[in-house]
Amino acid sequence: MLPAALRCGRLGSALISFLAFSLSRAWRSFWRNAAMSLAATATMTLMLLLLSGFWIVQAGMLAGLQFVEQKVQVVADLKDGTPESAVSTLQSKIAAMPEVIDVAYVSKDEALRRYQENRQARGEEDQTSFLGVNPLPASLEVRLRKADDFDIVTTALRADPNVQRVTNIAKLADQVATISQVLRTVGVALLAVIGAIVLFIVINTIRLAVVGRAEEIEIMRLVGASDAFIRWPFVFEGAFVGLIGAGVTLAILAGAADPLSRFMFDFFRILPLSLGSIARDVSLLVLGAGTGLGILGAWISVRTYLIR
Amino acid sequence: MTIETLPDRRRGPRRAIAPSELDRGESLTGPRPVVVLNNVTKTYPNGRNALHEVDLVVPEGDFVFLVGPSGAGKSTLIRLLIRDELATEGTVMLDGDDLAKLPRRRVPRVRRKVGIVFQDFKLLPAKTARENIAFALEVTGTARNRIGPSVDRVMALVGLTAQADQYPHQLSGGEQQRTAIARALVHDPRIVIADEPTGNLDPLISWEIIQLLLRINELGVTVLMATHDADVVTALRKRVVALEDGHVMRDELGGGYHRR
Repeated sequence: MLPAALRCGRLGSALISFLAFSLSRAWRSFWRNAAMSLAATATMTLMLLLLSGFWIVQAGMLAGLQFVEQKVQVVADLKDGTPESAVSTLQSKIAAMPEVIDVAYVSKDEALRRYQENRQARGEEDQTSFLGVNPLPASLEVRLRKADDFDIVTTALRADPNVQRVTNIAKLADQVATISQVLRTVGVALLAVIGAIVLFIVINTIRLAVVGRAEEIEIMRLVGASDAFIRWPFVFEGAFVGLIGAGVTLAILAGAADPLSRFMFDFFRILPLSLGSIARDVSLLVLGAGTGLGILGAWISVRTYLIR
Repeated sequence: MTIETLPDRRRGPRRAIAPSELDRGESLTGPRPVVVLNNVTKTYPNGRNALHEVDLVVPEGDFVFLVGPSGAGKSTLIRLLIRDELATEGTVMLDGDDLAKLPRRRVPRVRRKVGIVFQDFKLLPAKTARENIAFALEVTGTARNRIGPSVDRVMALVGLTAQADQYPHQLSGGEQQRTAIARALVHDPRIVIADEPTGNLDPLISWEIIQLLLRINELGVTVLMATHDADVVTALRKRVVALEDGHVMRDELGGGYHRR
């Protein structure tokens, strides 16, 4: 693939002059054919925006779902007067189940305090002070790894004589599980389809730029230029298109990040979205996809002229 | 004109001849043939039979006219020599390399042994004459400090030094063709192949181009020139290979364009 001069002898200087030649040629011809290059870059930017926009929505939805899934918990109300030893036996028995993340014990006092806090937060009057006794039961809050597993845990809790009542979350658990599965599958499929479309459009745009220089490639071939010398200037030019497109895309996204995250915040409500990690992922995606697509597009386009 | 600066290949160092090369019909005595076509047939995928059992040997230092009507197979023969096409049958040897057996990555090196000149010049419009010639060296990885002197040498040889910084559209047809010839020479090729080099030029300028090719030949470079120009061929009394319907009809030294 590389010219023989690069493989044997004076490798360093030959490689440097080869790179200098390819890069400077790529840079000059990018600007010499400015209209074509800018059209390719604009296409690249649009495609990257499409790709990253979809990625952000997908990531936001999945993060939201994960949050909801973690919130799925089975609550078992305990009968009043259950001895502490019985409670801790049950607690450790449930905690040992593989489907369970952890089990928290909420005492009667704790339950009352939470209730009062809740009322206060909503700005409603606290009426519990009118009651002589605490009417709320102590309970065990069981967090599940997956919403689907609620059935097993509920059965185990109901079997215990000290359990008064187990909240029925069948419907909620079902819905969450279904939505998350559908979203994951559809998301991956859509991402693949969009990726393929982006690849196709970008490759064709770069191909147009290469076809415009068919005569130059023909002359290079006739004077005995090796494949590497023909290919790499175009590949670097494709990489320029990709990098510049990625830069513009990231600039646009950075400008839109604030209103976008506020919108997502409102849309999904109080979700603890880790925007930092999404931003990092998107930057990597945009840079990687832009450069990769540019290089791939140029490589494929030039290949047509090299196979003879 | 500093013609003397072009190295005389006939006196240049020769590489050792491997025993296997003897099997290919090369002789140790006398100049080694630059081109050997042995029983070459070319049939295109569409079924057209462009060359039929062609034998041709061009020794080093020869000047050969390739004549024949359009469609006789001249262009096909040239395409075989620069390995743009491969022979359907038979062998095409260029400077000792069997082009059919040549690995793809070695093709560029072999192409540098062939300087090719076209009827339509094939110059890049956005580059000056000088840049067009230097381009052939740049894209083959020649060290930057060797490009300048090599380009100067061939530009002097074809007499273009004064027009070095002009663009192709500022040059006359003859000057454009001389630029193309300089580009073909800049790699020190074993053979210059000219495909109708005077086809777009008026008779006077054509003669200048022919004179230039003759001078290059005198310096030891083998020249193969395909042409329609009967006057030139007849006047020069060089070797003439006449193709007709893909057959070699005639191969004679000092021949004319037409059969006597």
